Amino acid sequence: MNASTDTLAPARPALGVSLPMPDAVERVVGTLKYTVDHSIEGMVHGKLVRSPYPHARILDVDTTGAQAADGVLRVITGAHIAAAAEVPNPLFGLARRDQAPLAIDKVRYAGDPVALVVADTPANARIGAASVLIDYEELPFMVDPEEALVPGAPVLHDQWPGNECGEWRLESGNVDEAMARAEHVFESTYTSPMASPVPFEPHVAIAAWDSDRLDMWTATQWPSAVQQELAHMFDIDIEQVRVRTFPLGGGYGAKSQLKIEPVVGAAARMMGRPVRLELERDEVFLTIAKHPANMRIRTGVDSAGLFVVREIDLLYNGGAYAVLTPKAVAQGLVRSVGPYGFPNIRIRSRGVYTNTVPSGSFRGAMTNQCAFAYESHVDEIAAGLGVDPVDLRLQNLLNDGDRFASGQVMHDVHFPELIRDVAETIGWEEPDVPGGSGKARGKGVGVILKTTPPGSRTEVRVEVRADGRVLVHTSSVDMGQGVRGTLAQLTAHHLGVDFDQVSVLDPDTAETFDSMTAGSRTTFVADRAIRQACESVREQLSQLAAKKLQVDPSDLGHESGAVVGLSGSRHSYSEIVGGAGLAAVTGDGAHQSSPSDALDDPLDVKGEVAEHWHQGAVAVEVEVDLETGKVELLRCHGATWAGRVVNPVRARQQSEGSIIFGIGPALFEELILVDGQVSNPNMSDYMIPSILDVPIELTSASLESTDPDADIHGVGEMTIPAVAPAIANAIARAADARVRHLPLTPEKVLRAIMGAEQE
Amino acid sequence: MNHASVSAVTLVVNGDEHQVEVMADEPLVRTLNDRLGFSSVRATCAMGICGTCTVQLDGAVVSSCLLLTRQVAGRSITTSEGMMSDDGTLSRVQQAFVDHGAYQCAYCIPGMVVTVDACLSEDPDASIEEIREYLAGNLCRCGAYVSVLEAIADLVEGGRG
Repeated sequence: MNASTDTLAPARPALGVSLPMPDAVERVVGTLKYTVDHSIEGMVHGKLVRSPYPHARILDVDTTGAQAADGVLRVITGAHIAAAAEVPNPLFGLARRDQAPLAIDKVRYAGDPVALVVADTPANARIGAASVLIDYEELPFMVDPEEALVPGAPVLHDQWPGNECGEWRLESGNVDEAMARAEHVFESTYTSPMASPVPFEPHVAIAAWDSDRLDMWTATQWPSAVQQELAHMFDIDIEQVRVRTFPLGGGYGAKSQLKIEPVVGAAARMMGRPVRLELERDEVFLTIAKHPANMRIRTGVDSAGLFVVREIDLLYNGGAYAVLTPKAVAQGLVRSVGPYGFPNIRIRSRGVYTNTVPSGSFRGAMTNQCAFAYESHVDEIAAGLGVDPVDLRLQNLLNDGDRFASGQVMHDVHFPELIRDVAETIGWEEPDVPGGSGKARGKGVGVILKTTPPGSRTEVRVEVRADGRVLVHTSSVDMGQGVRGTLAQLTAHHLGVDFDQVSVLDPDTAETFDSMTAGSRTTFVADRAIRQACESVREQLSQLAAKKLQVDPSDLGHESGAVVGLSGSRHSYSEIVGGAGLAAVTGDGAHQSSPSDALDDPLDVKGEVAEHWHQGAVAVEVEVDLETGKVELLRCHGATWAGRVVNPVRARQQSEGSIIFGIGPALFEELILVDGQVSNPNMSDYMIPSILDVPIELTSASLESTDPDADIHGVGEMTIPAVAPAIANAIARAADARVRHLPLTPEKVLRAIMGAEQE
Repeated sequence: MNHASVSAVTLVVNGDEHQVEVMADEPLVRTLNDRLGFSSVRATCAMGICGTCTVQLDGAVVSSCLLLTRQVAGRSITTSEGMMSDDGTLSRVQQAFVDHGAYQCAYCIPGMVVTVDACLSEDPDASIEEIREYLAGNLCRCGAYVSVLEAIADLVEGGRG
């Protein structure tokens, strides 16, 4: 092999550079293909019929009229699925198998799917669905998690007679003694309501069977979980289920776990033809909601202002089905501690079933609710002690080398830097500007901790082709955060090739495994997996080149997509691959986070609860209208610990997008229940932030380490949990009005101003 | 009205005539997306709130989920696809969005492009504040608004430079 004569330009740096997403033009023009755009030959269309009752026995489903409607091919009910040989294990659920594709025997929330009408067109399926007649016997219901715990409360699932949906505890030190001896004790209860992630692309899935093999295209953040759970449902090998997805038109947690995939897979198998189901907007609201939560905190403080003891009682409303709640409340427990050290601490975190929309992931899951509580509480303590809230935080924040409540020694901890950054940017030390007539201004801060739980796995395969292309096989899902771009940048960086050569393929469980695209874990884990895959590829390329050149592989180096010999001769990767008569050289990489026994005993959580700590802070300035209680967000700044930044523009968009996302649940988002039904499952009555809700001054910082090998931290949801408490704290400082219940509506703020907020 | 009754209409989309058979109660967004394949036009809220179905009708910004296809027969409809030249050259607005990374999941972005384009066509001297007001009906759940405003600032300042 001769030294390459082509003049290889040195690869441009790929890390820390704001390269555009590779599909930027398609995204802007509108030609990007999402799962909702996918279609396959011969597919037919489903429409779900949902229960109007929050809790009822299904007495009879009359499908005669629907069966006779134009174009209707089949009407499937829960009873059909329960009896179908094609669906040997009809119950699914990643934490508990308590949910059926269609309700069997009884419905547990208003919106529970009861029947699926399948027709030749979506319009005919909709018309047919209107003709399904269902007789119900209404049962007593409850929607309040406190009520679910009362003896004699309605029982949703016979296997869980007390409506229990997970209970986790942590205790260290001597809480009772410390509380008795504390100089000051503060106690408050804070609540967060049901809210909705509102992804714009609805849930959509297509299932096609070929004998005992299932092909599923679905808008999901968890392709591998869908694959595993469907294999169980249909009693087939995991390899017989292939799940693929395209970029998502938004996820925000709504497309985590399993949603409509089971009913689509079951219908397609029972009918022997491909079935597609796309939810309508009201159905998206009725499919998954943010966990409502009540959090009671009691804190003992010594005479110097140190937090010496804390007690937390946390109750999550899991809704009608477990989804992930029994496990998620463990994360809720861990994240309820926040970024503070407590020598004595006792936490109980529980989930319960109620007759409401199933609760699940929501950007900042199991963190937003806790952060609103503990960061509001810090300001209440500061007010009680008469000290500055930022100083009180700096005095009590966890530092590198400190022990977390579980006993885990913490590293890579930067809370003080974050709080200083946001306080300085908002001008914390400067006196508050008086508001206009009848208005008052104030500033507030919040700082939060989130975790990446141990025990997840991510695989990638990097393929260097003879044609010069580099392909990255991954099952990480692009949902707007830019996986296609970020993983390409990481691959270009670790392989030393140009970014433009690299293409990231869409998720396909037949190719690679990834636990989930969630929890801001992807960039961190993919970096490690990709580095390993690239090292493997480089080693193979060295071997091939060494054989051809008849030199020792250790005499060869790598530079800018080429193997370089001692003489300085350069051999491009594509030339080496082609020269060896191969189409491609591939390398596998995986990141398996170390297992931990911290959660082995639910009633005694201890040890390593986080693979790595997410850290963020927000500061705001608000103006409160003292006559109406209306809050205007004047300025906002967020800071995220990034470790190293892969793409500055995208990191910024995550921090600032996360703040904007957080403004909704802080100020106005809430799913309202009337007689057990969601009364606002539409985008007119359930508002999300518009461009006019964005403060004119909105900035962010992604803080980086000076260590070139520092961990790359995820940056997707580190500001959102701090938004609501920062605003609540600013309102309290501006108007002497403490609101402990989200959202911070004008009515609640006004009541607090008038000193009349109910607990 | 028979829901399923079908009639033939002629639509003019991005300057091209299309003959389509549509149902009597079919909203324009369904015809454009499902039947004619204009993927930039998407039904999200289906009630005129979110703006992902935004098109220009004779140059004016409309929500295509609120119009029946039969109402707009023969009138001129422009989508984001139509703002790109046949050779792939992006419009000034589209290019500014690309340059400023003004997209995340991007489900909403083509609708914003259509709105900003209409605003600037109506008033080439529109201020950032006016364009921001114009975009109140184009929601973005990812929260890409800051980058969108930067793209707009570039358009406004670049246009006057």
